[in-house]
Amino acid sequence: MSQRSVTHWLIHHAARHAPDSLAERLEEEWLADLERRTPGVSRLRFAIGCCWATQVIAFEHQPSKAAVGTTAVGHTLIASADQSFGFISLRSSTFFLVVSLHIVLISGFMTALSHTHKSAVPDPLQNRDLPHSRPDTVPPPLPTPNLNHVIIEVPNLETDLKYEPDPDHSVTPGPVDEQLPPTPPTPLTPHIAKQVAGGPGAGFPDTVDFYPPLSIHLGEQGVSTVRVCVDAKGRLTSDPTTLKGSGSARLDEGALKLARAGSGHYRAATEDGQSVGSCYPLGIRFQLKN
Amino acid sequence: MGKKDANVRMSLQTLRVLESFLENPTEQLSGADVHQRCGIASGTLYPILLRLESAGWFVSQWESIDPSSAGRPRRRLYRLTSTGLRRASEVFASFNRGVLA
Repeated sequence: MSQRSVTHWLIHHAARHAPDSLAERLEEEWLADLERRTPGVSRLRFAIGCCWATQVIAFEHQPSKAAVGTTAVGHTLIASADQSFGFISLRSSTFFLVVSLHIVLISGFMTALSHTHKSAVPDPLQNRDLPHSRPDTVPPPLPTPNLNHVIIEVPNLETDLKYEPDPDHSVTPGPVDEQLPPTPPTPLTPHIAKQVAGGPGAGFPDTVDFYPPLSIHLGEQGVSTVRVCVDAKGRLTSDPTTLKGSGSARLDEGALKLARAGSGHYRAATEDGQSVGSCYPLGIRFQLKN
Repeated sequence: MGKKDANVRMSLQTLRVLESFLENPTEQLSGADVHQRCGIASGTLYPILLRLESAGWFVSQWESIDPSSAGRPRRRLYRLTSTGLRRASEVFASFNRGVLA
C-alpha cells in the first residue's frame, strides 16, 4: 500500500465520521489541501490530523455539547477543558490516541528497518562448543595387504616391422666405412687361405729406361723401395709412394716413374688361386754395368 | 451555517488564525494557506475554521475553477465577514489592553 493510498484512506475514514452535513465537504476540502503538502511525512501527519479534527468537529456539533464548548469572549485567553469523554477528557484521549499512533508507526518502521539491518550487518563472532564428534569405539584395523603374490601382466608386444622400399630412391646407400670393425672369424671351421704376393708381371717396363741420365753420369746406384696397390687385373689403384729411399732423390723419383708406368702389367696377388687386389712393397734396383 | 455573531472560545491557536486573516481582511484563504502562514496542524486548524464559520465570523465557498482543466481539486476558501472583522479587531484590541495594562 503506497503512502498516497494510506493518506487518502485516512482522510476518507475521518470524513466518514464527521457530521453528515459536513462529511462530503470536509473530504473534498482536505483532499484538496493535501495536495498542497509536500509528499512524505507531512502528508501523513496532515491525514492523521484530519482524523483528530473529525473527532473535535463531531463532538462540537452534538446538540447537548455544543453549548458547553463555547464561552464568552473575555479580555483574557480561555483554556477550556469542558470537553470530555466520561472519565477521560477529550484532550487526554486525543493525546493518548496520537501517542499510540506514533508508537505503532515507529514500531512498524523499526521492525522493517531491523530486518534490513540484520541482513546488512552480520552478527558478531561468538564462541560455541561443538559437539563431541570423535567416536568412542576404535575402528577395526585395516587388513594387511598381500604383497607376496604380485602378478604383473606384461602386454604382448608384437613387432611386425615391414620394410618398404623407397620408390623415389631418395635415400642412397652411403659408402662402406673402412673403419668398421672386422667380423670375427668363425672359430669352428678355421681356414688358412693360400696367398701369393703380387709383383711385376709380363710387359713390365725395363729399369734401364727409367734410369736417370744424371745418375748414370754421376755413377749413382741403389735400391729404392716403393709401395704399390694393384687390383685383380694388375692395375694401380693408387699412386705409388716411396717406402725406403736409395739415398739418391733422382733414383727414388725414377723408381716412382717406373712403378706408375707399370700399371696394368703387375701380377695380381692370389688367394686360393683367385686374383685379388692388394698392396705390397716393390724394390727397384738401379745398377750400372761395367 | 450555525449561529451568526456568536461568541467563540478564544485560544492561542484561534488568535493566530484570526491574525492570518487580518493581514488582508478581504483575502480568501484555504486551510492550506492558513497552515503555511501560522503553522497550525490540521487537527487543530479545521475545527477552528468551522467554529468561526459557525459563529458567523467567516464565510466559505468553493474555489471557482474547473478541476479537470486546472489539473487539481478545487479548494475551500475562507473569508472574514464584516462581523468577523469587527469582532476579531475587538478581540485583539482587548487582548492588547489586557497585556499592556
